[in-house]
Amino acid sequence: MRKSQLTILLIAIAIAVCGVLSIYSSTCQKEGQLWQSIYQRQIIWIVLGVLLYIVISNLNYRRLWDWTYVIYTLTLIFLLLVFILGAVRLGAQRWIRFSWFNFQPSEFAKLILVIFLARYFSKKSVDDTSLPSRRFGIMKGIILPFIYVAIPMVLIIEQPDLGSGLMILFLFIAVLYITGVRLRYIFTFLLVMFLPAPFLWNFLRDYQKDRLLVFLNPNIDPLGAGYTVIQSKIAIGSSGFFGKGWLAGTQSQLYFLPESHTDFIFATFTEEWGLAGSVLLLLLYFLLIRQGFSIASRTRDSFGKLLAYGISLMLAIQIFTNVAMNMGIAPVVGLPLPLMSYGGSSVIVTFISLAILANVDRTRAVF
Amino acid sequence: MNRIRIVIIFVVLMFLVLFLGLINLTVISGGKYKELSNKNCIRLLPQPGARGKILDRAGCVMVDNKLSYEVLILTRNNAAVLKVLGDVARVLEVNPDELTKVFDKSYLNSSVPTVIARNIDLKQAIALEELKSEIPGIMIHPNPVRRYPYGNLACHVLGYLNEIDRWRLTNLENYGYKTKDIVGFGGVEEKYDYYLRQEEGGLSVEVDHRGRFTRVLGFRPPYNGRDIQLTLNLKIQKIVETSLAGRKGCVVIMDPFTGEVISMASFPNFSPSVFIERPAGVINRLFSDSEGPLINRAVASVYPAGSIFKPIVAAAGLETGKINSHTVFVCTGATMVGGRDFKCWNVHGQQDLTLALADSCDTYFYHTGLLLGAQNMYEYALKFGLSRSTGFELPNESAGLIPNPMWKKIRRFKGWYDGDTANLSIGQGDVLVSPLQMVRMISVFANNGTLVTPYIVKSVDGKDLSVYWARQATKVAIKDTTMDSVREGMRQVVVCPTGTASVLATLSVPVVGKTGTAQAPPGLSHGWFVGYFPYKSPRYAICVLLEHGGSGYAATVVTKQIIEEMVKEGLI
Repeated sequence: MRKSQLTILLIAIAIAVCGVLSIYSSTCQKEGQLWQSIYQRQIIWIVLGVLLYIVISNLNYRRLWDWTYVIYTLTLIFLLLVFILGAVRLGAQRWIRFSWFNFQPSEFAKLILVIFLARYFSKKSVDDTSLPSRRFGIMKGIILPFIYVAIPMVLIIEQPDLGSGLMILFLFIAVLYITGVRLRYIFTFLLVMFLPAPFLWNFLRDYQKDRLLVFLNPNIDPLGAGYTVIQSKIAIGSSGFFGKGWLAGTQSQLYFLPESHTDFIFATFTEEWGLAGSVLLLLLYFLLIRQGFSIASRTRDSFGKLLAYGISLMLAIQIFTNVAMNMGIAPVVGLPLPLMSYGGSSVIVTFISLAILANVDRTRAVF
Repeated sequence: MNRIRIVIIFVVLMFLVLFLGLINLTVISGGKYKELSNKNCIRLLPQPGARGKILDRAGCVMVDNKLSYEVLILTRNNAAVLKVLGDVARVLEVNPDELTKVFDKSYLNSSVPTVIARNIDLKQAIALEELKSEIPGIMIHPNPVRRYPYGNLACHVLGYLNEIDRWRLTNLENYGYKTKDIVGFGGVEEKYDYYLRQEEGGLSVEVDHRGRFTRVLGFRPPYNGRDIQLTLNLKIQKIVETSLAGRKGCVVIMDPFTGEVISMASFPNFSPSVFIERPAGVINRLFSDSEGPLINRAVASVYPAGSIFKPIVAAAGLETGKINSHTVFVCTGATMVGGRDFKCWNVHGQQDLTLALADSCDTYFYHTGLLLGAQNMYEYALKFGLSRSTGFELPNESAGLIPNPMWKKIRRFKGWYDGDTANLSIGQGDVLVSPLQMVRMISVFANNGTLVTPYIVKSVDGKDLSVYWARQATKVAIKDTTMDSVREGMRQVVVCPTGTASVLATLSVPVVGKTGTAQAPPGLSHGWFVGYFPYKSPRYAICVLLEHGGSGYAATVVTKQIIEEMVKEGLI
């Protein structure tokens, strides 16, 4: 095992342990077998994730080049299946039921699109490190890849999962920027995307409109749509420097904070571990992403480089959006906090992403 | 790779934003959120104590408490509130909108339960209690409320309970009164509110997001208010109120030696229980009624005195030596004063003091008054406790007025004429007295020269107050011979066949008194009777006033009824 491979794994496990502690804390008071076993399930997912990490980080990532379109197609099929077989939970159809777990294809779609974009904007040759995208015209540089991205994105937004959809859009723009597509094209694209935004308002679902309005002013509906943000801010704000102590957070223990083990796990964690704990947690995330960026800058071949940047950015965007919405400085969108939030798909995808990252660094050394 | 650097800076900035956001929430506004967090999960459940009872002099309960059931609601979610209100309305069989209105009015904040219905009966309380598990966040709270076993009886003395008003709140804030406190208004309930008041206890509990109880954090036991014993005699009070029989006016009966008020009734009256049941519109009607049912006429209203002022004039004349008991004036039905005829109500012929009092001859007193002068009469009126408050405990006492030349100069910018003196000498003109002042005045004759302070609270929480009140009594410097002469005159009012209160002669109890018919245009005259009985060993001083009752005769008849009933009950 290389040094970066081990570092990434250790950081990931440290974060995941924080996650399990918080999940246990927020569910131990709840009645019912299902709630009691939730932290155990998360542990199983983490163990599985770690095993996957060890396996995948030893597989050569370049094989992904050949398989990209296959897994892209598979993802589309799963996303379509969600509409047909999907389980409706919390008013959204995002999951496919398997025997003992729910599978969330949109989580995988994020990673698949990163791989796809990395392949699209790079060359197969390991020796040719130049990026072709600098010379791309508007058709090849923006419109074509956007069509590839837009198909799964629209499917995800329709689930509805506006958060993941928008995250994919931001990720797409970020990758465009990194690969060196001309700024002119990117600005044109941004204009085309965001100018009609006011008209798109009508296409949003009611709850999505509520969330956006509530983001602008959470007090317009303190007991409805704004409730979660207010409770989350209270949980974070009331924690103090060292927090209320593990299993002693009143906001999460007494269920004032909804979704305290999934999207709002950061608030749960902060309430009990305080400013000190959450700063430490953010530091861990930062180190993880720094690892990603330094691997990317070390990597010479364009596919690996874009892959590493893409994965790092994917994680960074998710972490930022989630923590920001916990603190009420971003609208509430259903994005999990990678490695912390309860959810098998998210945990597995994050470990796979990190494994690919580690493998980019490992394989690089071979050449 | 310039773009890479920009992306890296961007990511670092993102983390910086998160870090600053954390600092902002936990450090800068941490205190505020700490408070909000506590508010979230800590609830205060009040546990009321019982207000003190009010007893009569024999210890019979006049006001006590019964358990009433309140429905309270403790929930944070707006939609849930509407649903709960709907459910509760169904059980109570009322319109949900009404409950919503009550809820909106009494909502304070989410940590205190909000009352949505009061005074529900036991059956409904049980029905709701059974549904408690289905309707989240409701509480059925037994709450002691006032019970008035005798209905309207002595309502002006007792007073009523209502939510504290702004004026009282600003005055009483330092004594621990809060908004929405129920406090006494009028009567003993107001004056002794501080003693009657119960102390609310309470539980502070931790609840979860649905308001379900998780654990107790603290407890303070409630304390009951202190009981108050009045000097009122329940039996006499009942007799008085039946005898008054709804006529507008009032009756005061007092112990002439101690000042204990034995009975005090005023009509029209009200039912104090409407302030608890609060039927729609009734309370507003009480306040806007031009008849003033909430006014205690015995204390708070003042009337022209008319002839009942004459004993004072007589005493003043005798004391100053302007007349003696054998002075005779001739009544021809009118006297010329200042160029105007001052009429007597009859032609009495030769009158000495005794006859003049018995016949209530105005001419005699015009002459006496003119001999005395206004200032003398004013000073004697003050000696008998007029024109100033009696020091009685109940709120809103009126001081009344006895005019004098100085007052007229200052207040009316007019000179004083002999006509004013003549008017004053028969208690007319600007004279205003309260029934309580008159009963106190007559007591001076009954107890041979002591001006007592009337009072109505015998003891608070078992502690006797009579010693305190006895100390308040003052001596009126009047010779015994004067007393005897006026008393004899007032005895003749009853005994003499031509006496104005001769209807009382047939009573088995010898009564002493004076009638009065005070002109009160444009309405009918006010009818007065003041007196005391039994003659030689007085036990009760009485004052009856019939507002626009026509004449003193009507008041005398009421007095007769009262005394007859008291004799029948063996109270004398």
